[in-house]
Amino acid sequence: MSEEVILLKDLKLVPDKYYNYTQALKNSKTPIVIDNGSFTCKAGWATSKTPNLTFKNILARPRKERGKKDGETLIGNDIPNIEAVRFQLKSQFDRNVITQFNVQEQIFDYTFSHLGIDSNGSINHPILMTEPVANPNYSRLLMSELLFECYHVPGICYGIDGLFSYKHNIGKKTGLVINCGHHTTHIIPVIKGTPDLLNTRRIDVGGYHITYYLHKLLQLKYPAHYNAITPSRAEELLYEHGFLAVHYTDMLKKWSDADYYDRNVKRIQLPYSMTVVLTPDQQRDKRREMAKKLVEMNARKRDEKLAEDEEQLQQLLLIQEMIDDGEPIEEVREVLKSHGLKNEKDLRKLISDLQTRIDRAKSKIAASLNASNVEEHVTEEPKLRLFKNKIQLPKEDTISKTWLKDIYKRRQDIIDKKAVRKQRRQDMAKRGTAASLERMRLISQLARKDKRDDDFGSRDEDWDVYKVINKEGGDTDSDEEQEKITELEEIIRFYDPTFVSSNTNEEQNPKEAHQLHFGIERMRCAEVLFQPSMIGCSQGGITDTVEFILKKYNAETANALAENLFLTGGPTKLPGFKERVYRELREMRPLETNINVKLSNSPLLDSWYGAKEFANSGDFHKYLLTPEMYAEHGGDYFIENYCSNMYCPLPEAIQEPEGLSEQNQEI
Amino acid sequence: MANNTLEEVSHKEEKKYVFKDPTFDSTKTVNGKKKLWRSLKQITAQERNLPWPENTIYYSSISAPPSFKPSKKYSDISGLIAKYKDPQTSLYYAGHEEFSTVRNLPSDIITGYLTLRGSYNPIG
Repeated sequence: MSEEVILLKDLKLVPDKYYNYTQALKNSKTPIVIDNGSFTCKAGWATSKTPNLTFKNILARPRKERGKKDGETLIGNDIPNIEAVRFQLKSQFDRNVITQFNVQEQIFDYTFSHLGIDSNGSINHPILMTEPVANPNYSRLLMSELLFECYHVPGICYGIDGLFSYKHNIGKKTGLVINCGHHTTHIIPVIKGTPDLLNTRRIDVGGYHITYYLHKLLQLKYPAHYNAITPSRAEELLYEHGFLAVHYTDMLKKWSDADYYDRNVKRIQLPYSMTVVLTPDQQRDKRREMAKKLVEMNARKRDEKLAEDEEQLQQLLLIQEMIDDGEPIEEVREVLKSHGLKNEKDLRKLISDLQTRIDRAKSKIAASLNASNVEEHVTEEPKLRLFKNKIQLPKEDTISKTWLKDIYKRRQDIIDKKAVRKQRRQDMAKRGTAASLERMRLISQLARKDKRDDDFGSRDEDWDVYKVINKEGGDTDSDEEQEKITELEEIIRFYDPTFVSSNTNEEQNPKEAHQLHFGIERMRCAEVLFQPSMIGCSQGGITDTVEFILKKYNAETANALAENLFLTGGPTKLPGFKERVYRELREMRPLETNINVKLSNSPLLDSWYGAKEFANSGDFHKYLLTPEMYAEHGGDYFIENYCSNMYCPLPEAIQEPEGLSEQNQEI
Repeated sequence: MANNTLEEVSHKEEKKYVFKDPTFDSTKTVNGKKKLWRSLKQITAQERNLPWPENTIYYSSISAPPSFKPSKKYSDISGLIAKYKDPQTSLYYAGHEEFSTVRNLPSDIITGYLTLRGSYNPIG
């Protein structure tokens, strides 16, 4: 049995470096290739070997606080710890489509400035950007507007990320692209190098949903660690230990075996701080010491007070003597006044008061010295604390079994009451039970129309009916009750050490208490790609949708597509993904047909590599949308290429040439 | 030292990128009102209502169809294949060991599981 405990890495992001804008780049019209994914943005020069920048496509904008200087907006890899700014994160994406163009603008600023560009007033490089399949024209219009009017780029070309990756890995063959993104999964058939977008389908489940599902599952499994289980940690766990079951239900049966579970579960250690747990003995010692200190402090105070009183008394006695000696009245009055006294009577009263006070204090000191039973004093203290709820404790010698029995009974009563309430709640939840029938009867009686002589409410008892018809039964499990139980149990434990409390949570060591058992969740979370119903999504999973698409073709083309399935995108890195697709396809396709599944070489970066190749190809400039075309054909226009969307102009009937961007829809 | 960094920050905030058109209004104020960006829902809702000719695609037209197979049911707490459903909490569970756990779950955990599965219905 492996008892290995895995520590979380909690990797911190490293800020991107600024590149130099070399003279060669300045003078050339080297295209900038941007794979603008909703998870990460990959950007770089078409001449670079790998993307110059790879960063999370998010920014953190600190909230504006009055009286405080606005914090800096952090972008992508500049955010050291995403969890610290979780609630300030902004993304330009709504699902897989860009809608927040002010955020996109800041991302562009970040990208271009990190590439080192310092040309004045414009970016003198054509841009090759990826966009989602069937990107709404409205979104493309705003993107072109931003690039042309804010950055004055000389040309833009749009393409689909999954297709670039396919071109890079496969080329011009017929095949089926399964592109698993952060928010969506696209399945795109490619016929002899040309994408068939009409038969493309999108499933609204992606890597984000896997991590979200895992995050929530772990939080629900370990409510105590609700805050320690963060989305970033869920993501780390997914890509470190997650996998796709080749045969999910078979695997579940294996996991239900305790031995298999023990062998395959990953124990994840959450960070924790050692809280010093004191043994009861140590606690008692500590308490004793504290009490001793308190006693000493009290004694000192008493001594001080006593000395003060004695001095005052001395003075007053002097005055008394003065009066007795027959000093002049004027003088006596003066002295009395200075002590805040009116006349002789007051003086006498004060003297007697002081004397009694001093006597009392002296006797107290004597008593505490005599007894010197500080110890006893202390041991009694914890007991005394128990009695704030006025539970009468008999004198030590009279503790009888009957009294203890009574305490037991009182504890049991509360527990029973709770059980009754729970039962009632359960009964209320069901329809047919006597309790809920009675409740319905009462409600209908209360709602009766003919209330000729309705005197409801004149008596106080009338109002009790609301307690009866309340689903909760009028009262809930209060903290007060729980407190009382703990107190009673405390007393019982004091006199009966063998007693075991009803709700003692097993004392675990903090290390084990902070461990997550990452078992079935390892494969359960990624399963949402194949069974979206697990997260309440009504769409079919990947294989369902593949089947749906294949059915749209004749047998020959369908076979050709199935012979060349191509997987790309972040989640396809998960172990078992390829095998899973193969197995399900095998079960679905006719026996004599071939099935081939190929995984992208680099599921995360291949789109960028493919796009780069396209940007370096000789006819790239032919596909560039120029500012002139943008002005002439309208904002949503672009030139189609073999990796791009279809240009579908908005239907004439309702076309709003300028109005689209101007309209400010009220929500 | 702290002062210094503050200055740096404000300097960075005011930093104008030379490659940008200074006249471009990124806040898109129309009549003194800040432009609200349309959500994807609004965009697609508008798209759907257009009279698209045949053989064109738009965002909603490529949405994957629902699955034809009945969805399998898995225990909410363990993930195992669920044979039963607790009528009270409407959670799925796999066996008798899980049943007592299901019954003793606090209500927020129950709603958490139901919401996660997309079948939380507060009306009952």
